[in-house]
Amino acid sequence: MLLDSLTTTPEMFTARTGWSVRPEGLCKGDRCVPAPDALTDDGLINIEAVAQHLAMPLVTDEESGWRALGPESGGSTLTTTEVPDLTLPDADGNPFRLRSLLGRKVLLVAWASW
Amino acid sequence: MPGWQALHNELADSGLTVVTVALDLDPDQATPWIAKAEPTHPSLIDSTHVINELFGIRNVPMAVWIDESGHLVRPAEAASIERSPFLDIDIDDSWPERIQQSLVEIKKMPDSSADYRAAIVDWVENGADSPFSLRADEVVRRSAGRPAEHSAAAACFELGQHLHALGDHDAAVDWWKQAHALHPENWTYKRQAWTIETTPPGQPSDLQQVATETYGTTWLDDVLETGGGAVYNTTPDLTA
Repeated sequence: MLLDSLTTTPEMFTARTGWSVRPEGLCKGDRCVPAPDALTDDGLINIEAVAQHLAMPLVTDEESGWRALGPESGGSTLTTTEVPDLTLPDADGNPFRLRSLLGRKVLLVAWASW
Repeated sequence: MPGWQALHNELADSGLTVVTVALDLDPDQATPWIAKAEPTHPSLIDSTHVINELFGIRNVPMAVWIDESGHLVRPAEAASIERSPFLDIDIDDSWPERIQQSLVEIKKMPDSSADYRAAIVDWVENGADSPFSLRADEVVRRSAGRPAEHSAAAACFELGQHLHALGDHDAAVDWWKQAHALHPENWTYKRQAWTIETTPPGQPSDLQQVATETYGTTWLDDVLETGGGAVYNTTPDLTA
């Protein structure tokens, strides 16, 4: 996830990574990782702490100051089969929420012009 | 796109929605294809390749299956439902050498389009009883491993994408080169970066992707270096 500082809101963090802060720690699906320092005193996500707990690489572009946090590593790509709450735009720019298709089977296909 | 729209037409009344997601950093490259297919299925654009990270997409076409409760029943895998016409092309030795070599590799790519299409139809008919609908632990087990290098590649790609969008293309190239080195089997990172060098704005994509000047490589060179057409895009594992 893209970052311009070393903190972000729990909502943004969950929307982008699928991990949420619960009393047990950082959780995604059934998996929880203890992380007592996941939140700052202001209730924001402490990026450096969660990066360490979840083995998420944090890279920084020194010139611009922008950072990007990679997904958790060390295991498999999927840790749960629950599909994240993903919203993407259609060709006209209108947001489409994948969860609007609950109740139907979905074949999600990646393609590209290139 | 026309093939996916046809599949959606065929199976929508039986409960399937096809969702196509274009991994195009510049949405304007994808929209002419979308318009031409006149989709009635959700046809979305993922200009930051977020589904790479979320599902493990690493080339196109790849797909995941999601059941009615919003759970994956198959992990990311190669997804073709039509036999590529390139597989049956007769290579003419008067064609440019690069084209000939590319076609030789393309013709090595395994074709499981008929079986994969039949598996989708079976799942739509039989749901969780279909042998192609996998248990949760099996979906997770079959998803690709993610070593630290692949995770770092995702971060480098995203940072490059953002710097490119901000107008600093040179900085973007440096980050994308890192992404390519960290995860050579991720073709979306490479093909997306190369096409920016090799496709003029508003033109159809140059699939040869001779990005030698900026990246020191081409699509064909990288295909050969990573094992050739036979391993370029793996076949879906359709065993139960």
